[in-house]
Amino acid sequence: MSKHEKIEKNIGLMGVMVAVVISFAGIIEIAPLMSQASVVEPVPGLEPRNPLELAGQNVYVSEGCYNCHSQQVRPFVDETLRYGHYSVAGESVYDRPFQWGSKRTGPDLARVGGRYSNEWHEIHLMDPRSVVPTSNMPGYPWLADTPVDIEQTVESMKVLKMLGHPYSDDDIANAAASLTDKTQLDALVAYLQDLGTAMPRSYQ
Amino acid sequence: MSNFWHWTVIIVVIAHIVAYLWLLLATSKKKVDKREDNTTGHVWDDDLMELDNPMPRWWLWLFVLTIVFSLGYLYLYPGLGNIKGSKEWTSVDEFKTAYEANTEARNRSFAGFINKPIEELIKDENAMLIGKRIFSNNCALCHGSDAAGAVGFPNLTDDDWNWGGEFDNILTTITGGRMGVMPAFAPALGEEGTKQVAAYVRSLSGIDHDTSLAAEGEQKFGMFCAACHGPDAKGNDMFGAPNLTDDIWLHGSHEIIETALYEGLNGNMPTQKDILDENRIKLVAAYVYSLSNQ
Repeated sequence: MSKHEKIEKNIGLMGVMVAVVISFAGIIEIAPLMSQASVVEPVPGLEPRNPLELAGQNVYVSEGCYNCHSQQVRPFVDETLRYGHYSVAGESVYDRPFQWGSKRTGPDLARVGGRYSNEWHEIHLMDPRSVVPTSNMPGYPWLADTPVDIEQTVESMKVLKMLGHPYSDDDIANAAASLTDKTQLDALVAYLQDLGTAMPRSYQ
Repeated sequence: MSNFWHWTVIIVVIAHIVAYLWLLLATSKKKVDKREDNTTGHVWDDDLMELDNPMPRWWLWLFVLTIVFSLGYLYLYPGLGNIKGSKEWTSVDEFKTAYEANTEARNRSFAGFINKPIEELIKDENAMLIGKRIFSNNCALCHGSDAAGAVGFPNLTDDDWNWGGEFDNILTTITGGRMGVMPAFAPALGEEGTKQVAAYVRSLSGIDHDTSLAAEGEQKFGMFCAACHGPDAKGNDMFGAPNLTDDIWLHGSHEIIETALYEGLNGNMPTQKDILDENRIKLVAAYVYSLSNQ
């Protein structure tokens, strides 16, 4: 049996060899990034999310906001004119999982922090069409009646600390107290108001 | 990237290119011992056989071309570790160039009218068209596409202004944003006092009210409310305190007076100076000004 035939007739062996060949691309494209400062180090001024914002991020993910909203301003003129300074990697080092995305049914939210008032966000999340008549975003009225999951948020903080987020033991001990009586709506608004605020908002 | 990765990337990439080239040449030279009927002798599924026809030449040359292309690309553009490539291209530089060109183009199109005094600016059709577009993109989400506002978000088409309706006031509001804060008066007024002041405030706009309560409320209004809303209750641009003597209710209707007194009220217009440049702020401010100053 020739070598060629041996590989061709043994799908397991061929699978392994294909994986080896492809993994070279992975090593060259992905592995160096993991040690590159601009990718793994936070931009100056970036703080890990406080407990309320973190609870908001969990709501953002569990409600599937990422299905329609990206969080990545690409370095193109029209995008920076609309959304502000293009996103940089060091901004999302405390996002696990990151929310960059590429699906934009709604607008990009990478720099939505501070763009609208808290009151606007509350009204808009409960009933988007009461402020934007042409919006096709669904309302999320139950967020206002649902308390944040305190236990889950504290657990999130512990896991993130293990992964290197600089939470102190005090931060984690005080987290539960700062979340009492907070609704998922409060948390989500706090999260949205924090998005993209570590960088200058505009590119000018 | 670190020295280790720098060299790893260079070595692996070059080694791959060389290996592909070798694979291409080696396999094209290799003779397969064929049978007389031009098949390779491989048989699948009983009767499926493989012919040994050579691949088209032009198609093989395409492979060589991709290798030549990759070498040219790696010479011109970054790709080998930390080597910048002869063009020193970066996506940030490309963006900067495009952004500067766009800014120049925008300023050129603004140049015709941006320095006009406001009274002329609002008569300039192009300026108002651009102003309206900036408004639609940035302001309509709260104030509505017709600028008529919504509950909690002021109507910009009437003559009632919480922070002043002169062009300069509007410019300041858009540039820096506004933060209106009415504190909670529950501790100072109590339940009875709240009812009295609410009745007095209703009397100011001629709404049905309890006259005896209102009479009690007048004095309390002077003590607690006049500091911001003015002794005549006509409001104060300095604090964004609304005029209470008209029948315009930013937060819906007069029915919220009690809650507002009891719990306080906040209004926040976010700053726009980080989002819009000076010229665009001026144009959108002029557009807003034009809505009530035709």
